[in-house]
Amino acid sequence: MHNVWTLVKREYLERVRSRSFLIFTLLMPAVMAAIMIIPATLAQYNAGGEKKIVIVANDPKLASVVGHELGNAKTQAHGGELERQGAPNVYTIQVSTDTSDAERNRLGQQVSSGQISGFVWLTDDALARHAVVYSTKEAADFGQAHDLRNAITTGIARYHLSQKGMTGAEVDALLTPMRLDTVRIEKGREGASGAAVFLTAFAMVMLLYTVVLIYGMAVMRSVIEEKSNRILEVLLSSVTAKELLAGKIIGVGAVGLTQILVWVIFALIFSVPGLVATKSFLGELHIPMTAIAAFAVFFLLGYLLYSAMYAAIGAMVNTDQEAQQMQWPALIPLVLGVVLMNAVIQHPNSALAFWLSLVPFFAPILMLMRIVIEQPPLWQILLCLALIVATIYGLLSLASRIYRVGILMYGKRPSWPELRRWLRYAG
Amino acid sequence: MIAFETQPQRVVNAVELRGIRKTYDQFVAVEHLYLNIREGSVYGLLGPNGAGKTSTIRMMIGITLPDDGNVRLFGEPFHRGQLRRIGYMPEERGLYKRMKVLDHLVLLGRLHNLSERDARARARKWCERLQISEWTYHKIEELSKGMQQKVQFIATLLHDPDLIIMDEPFSGLDPANAVMLKDVLVELKKAGKTILFSTHRMDAVERLCDSICLIDHGRAILEGDLKKIKASYGKNHVQIECDGDPYLERCPLVQSVNNYGNYVEVQLKPGADPQELLRVTADRVRISRFELLEPSLEEIFIDQVGRNA
Repeated sequence: MHNVWTLVKREYLERVRSRSFLIFTLLMPAVMAAIMIIPATLAQYNAGGEKKIVIVANDPKLASVVGHELGNAKTQAHGGELERQGAPNVYTIQVSTDTSDAERNRLGQQVSSGQISGFVWLTDDALARHAVVYSTKEAADFGQAHDLRNAITTGIARYHLSQKGMTGAEVDALLTPMRLDTVRIEKGREGASGAAVFLTAFAMVMLLYTVVLIYGMAVMRSVIEEKSNRILEVLLSSVTAKELLAGKIIGVGAVGLTQILVWVIFALIFSVPGLVATKSFLGELHIPMTAIAAFAVFFLLGYLLYSAMYAAIGAMVNTDQEAQQMQWPALIPLVLGVVLMNAVIQHPNSALAFWLSLVPFFAPILMLMRIVIEQPPLWQILLCLALIVATIYGLLSLASRIYRVGILMYGKRPSWPELRRWLRYAG
Repeated sequence: MIAFETQPQRVVNAVELRGIRKTYDQFVAVEHLYLNIREGSVYGLLGPNGAGKTSTIRMMIGITLPDDGNVRLFGEPFHRGQLRRIGYMPEERGLYKRMKVLDHLVLLGRLHNLSERDARARARKWCERLQISEWTYHKIEELSKGMQQKVQFIATLLHDPDLIIMDEPFSGLDPANAVMLKDVLVELKKAGKTILFSTHRMDAVERLCDSICLIDHGRAILEGDLKKIKASYGKNHVQIECDGDPYLERCPLVQSVNNYGNYVEVQLKPGADPQELLRVTADRVRISRFELLEPSLEEIFIDQVGRNA
């Protein structure tokens, strides 16, 4: 234990004192802040322009109702919709009843020359087919398309309802969309809003993924560095390969924890004004203690699992380039876990989510996700933990066998049959 | 009545290998090797590259385990606690490039069970002695190769080991450091330390060793006291300095001749009398020097390999 502790201390201090640790620790929150702040800021400056739109319809009354709806589009863009960011567009509407091909060509030319933003082909024919065409140069402007779709759908409904004799107020009341607030039930009480839970889960999983990947690779690179420094045999005259491996994994993991701690403190300091701003549409952003505990447990387990693999890979190769080619056994399961996250988010209670979250290589990501967004039964969590711990135990003993032989081997990378023989060597 | 037992004066072996064997797949690295290294002696483990020297040393200090046979150190079966009495400088040696000299030495001292303070004090003393004390707060990578070699010796000797194992110690050393290392080792020998050299360059350690073991293909082909080994071979080599060529190639006394220009080296046939050769040569040329020599270790090795083949 004395040796392991000495090695952990070296690994930890050398890394934490290094300039790259300081830079990365400071830079990461800066980048994250930039990712969150810049688009929001840009969206504010990216104010909607004045859009001049021609509505072509056989029925001028329908066209003017739709036009009216579109004119009111900005009042409809309420705070709850994530996809509608920035200031709304201001629409100027012209109505045309000329549905000839000549008119269509003429309008097309006006769009090209920039006199109008676009035109909507709202003829009876189009209505019958339930397919309306909006011709514009700005086909990628989803805000506009969103406004138009809403205006046409509600406009048509409003037009027909008022023709059936409903008053304007009755129609308004009927057409106002219902707001849906998702609330998570925790221990019988209502907790955070759905959006907040989702964001929390997403942030936690991405943090876990990033740190496990970065520090797993740090373990690998550190093994390679020791190999190329030729220091391993010097060390092996006083410590065992197992002690070396343990010292490295614990030392590097402690650096990872330190980094997360620094980031969490950063986040707490800087997000306080941010929280106030997002409160309006996220509701109260609160992270339950169970989620934090789950993060801590699954981070440690995930790190152990993947760093054991990375250490074994590091012991097998001699250069960083070789490591790039050999790291897929560790990289693929980790990335796959993130890819499968989507399936679990959408149906966290499904059989698929259950089975996927039990696979030890995905569990740090998927089970964590499930614990944060819903509360899986305790037996599932315990089963998952048992499987992970067993896998880590197996992987560590495999990795230490590979490590023990690999660190004394220079030159050619082992083939699969050679690797199998490594595992059988007595020591 | 109290009986005073007198401790019998017996020679303890610092290292005893009893029939150790190591194979890697079909390749036999070490085959049934027995050897004894007396405490306080300088021992040479000699043989060509790939003979199994490094494999033997690794088993000696528990880096790998023998497939068969056992290792005894300081009169007891091997256990890891004994490692603090051993200083090992491997052939593949290196240091953490980005650590500072003093920190690095303290680290390696700590791993050999020195206290932090003790390790620091010893490291300072050694750095002073080897004239690198102004570099103790520099990173290893800032040091010249020669200085890094000095740090490596200090790392091996810092914990004052009783058994010092050096695998190819002189390879890659600059001449000044080679002399310095030799002086330090001679001093340690005087202080009663046991020193094990392993090298394929037999001429480099011939003068330092008390005993040797010649190994080839994982087997010991000759082991024992160096002087006795040499004496058993007798003096069957002659160096002759003379004017002109004595043309000894076809002389019936002679096994082989090597003409180096300034002098001629002759190996006599077994049983041939050197006195006879002197007479023959004196008849042919004017001799300025005629000297009988012991065979070198290298010649003994080649002869032994030839016999075993």
